[in-house]
Amino acid sequence: MPSKDKGHSSITSSDQELVLSSLERDQLAGVKKHLIPRRHLRGLEKFVLWSLRIYLLFMMLVVVYQVWIGTH
Amino acid sequence: MGIGPLSRVTPQVVTQEDVVITHEDVDRAHDRVRVSAARAQRGVFSRFRLLWLLVGPGILVMLGENDGPSMLSYAATGARFGIGFFIPFVVLTFCMAVVVQEMTMRLGSATHRGHAELIFDRFGPFWGWFSMIDLGIGNFLTLITEFIAVRAGLGFFGVPPWAAIVGALAFLCLAVITHRYWTWERTLLAIAIFNLVFIPVALLAHPNWHSVGRALITWKPLPGGLSKDTLIIVLADIGATVTPWMLFFQQSATVDKGLTKKDIGLGRIDTVVGAALAATAAVATILATAPLFAHHMTAENFQAAEFAQALQPLIGRFGAALFALGIVEAGMVASVTISISSAYAFGEVARRPHSLNLPMAEGRTFYSVLFLCAATAGAIVLIPGLPLVYVVLLVNVVAVLAMPPALVFLFMLANDREVMGDLVSPMWANILTTGVVVFLTLAGVLFGISVIAPNIFAFLGGK
Repeated sequence: MPSKDKGHSSITSSDQELVLSSLERDQLAGVKKHLIPRRHLRGLEKFVLWSLRIYLLFMMLVVVYQVWIGTH
Repeated sequence: MGIGPLSRVTPQVVTQEDVVITHEDVDRAHDRVRVSAARAQRGVFSRFRLLWLLVGPGILVMLGENDGPSMLSYAATGARFGIGFFIPFVVLTFCMAVVVQEMTMRLGSATHRGHAELIFDRFGPFWGWFSMIDLGIGNFLTLITEFIAVRAGLGFFGVPPWAAIVGALAFLCLAVITHRYWTWERTLLAIAIFNLVFIPVALLAHPNWHSVGRALITWKPLPGGLSKDTLIIVLADIGATVTPWMLFFQQSATVDKGLTKKDIGLGRIDTVVGAALAATAAVATILATAPLFAHHMTAENFQAAEFAQALQPLIGRFGAALFALGIVEAGMVASVTISISSAYAFGEVARRPHSLNLPMAEGRTFYSVLFLCAATAGAIVLIPGLPLVYVVLLVNVVAVLAMPPALVFLFMLANDREVMGDLVSPMWANILTTGVVVFLTLAGVLFGISVIAPNIFAFLGGK
């Protein structure tokens, strides 16, 4: 039997029935408290993520340099 | 109660605590009842009603991305380079946006989880925080530019800067005051549609339709060849259509609206319609300012109000006022969508309630982040003497640079069979997404080269 949160006392039993009949289980705010299990990253995936991270850090330095050149 | 693909990786035993019903659930359930009723009926009218009920996140994200800096980029494009290369190019960038945004809509509908939440859960906090830092910096810089646009646009009508910023913040408060996703979405849609105000402005500029048609079909080369200036405009136009906040916003809005896998088909229509409307407004802006290019007027230092003033002799006071209003609308709508994107992401990561259906008492963190981001960005715009012009020019470039890492997370999530089930991306979508990542990375590398070695393009035959 579903329960009402302490702060949701205005929710009626018909509201509960409506929610349970019209939303999917994963749509309930309460169910979203559960973490989804982490996935294992493969070597290629780690390589791509690290490459793009280094790329972004480098390019941000370029942008800062561009702003510095522009303001001076 | 139905189950989605995510149920295979979340606990199967639903405890009593799991099914605590909140106001957020009740509001969403009411929306879903209307969707189910429309779906159950036959006939063309019911189909259109169903579409009407389900559109929103796609149109809002696309028109929201036609924001202050984006419209200024399009205006600068038309004024400095005309239409030959850039009209088909802008249409192409919106095709890229559809490919990317469709994945976020599919992810949200299949998993009922926001983008930040999924990245944190599936890739861990190390990669999650990187992603959040990218989003946070990009969103904050972009928010500043939205308020610059509002200030500049209202400046055309003589509104003082402080009044423009206070007005924009008041608009933000009013947009979310009903604490109801549906009302917020419909209100913002009604306002966002004013992005099309650039169409009458373009018509007042009396474009040569024969040239426009020829530009679309023939796709002329870059005027003046590849140079540092053209490259920045190219990057700014790409950043005007695909940016990280769009990924986070559309997925979270899809979840907040309550779309399910049954709605994915109409969610695609929502995204495509949004892209078509936004592309039309973008092309109209280029057409509106193209006369400045045709009249050989220097437009290099134009900002929002200056564009409207420069256009006034060509399209009249009414047309110029419409242009300025369009810039104001672009800034105001985007300030709402970008603030909400930050608030959604923060709530997802901090595991705090995050929904536009939340009453103030239950969503204090969500609304606080939303208002704090906006108020801080607005306050910065009012500080005299800051080099804000560089923020405007570079914000879209920063967005392009931050897109490849964000897209790789999206790509991996959309192909994650454990969370997506049968809704993983098809091969054609993967090929297109890979193409977009490679294109954006190469564009970023070219930008980096142009800054570090500015003479390289002259050496290669450009300017």
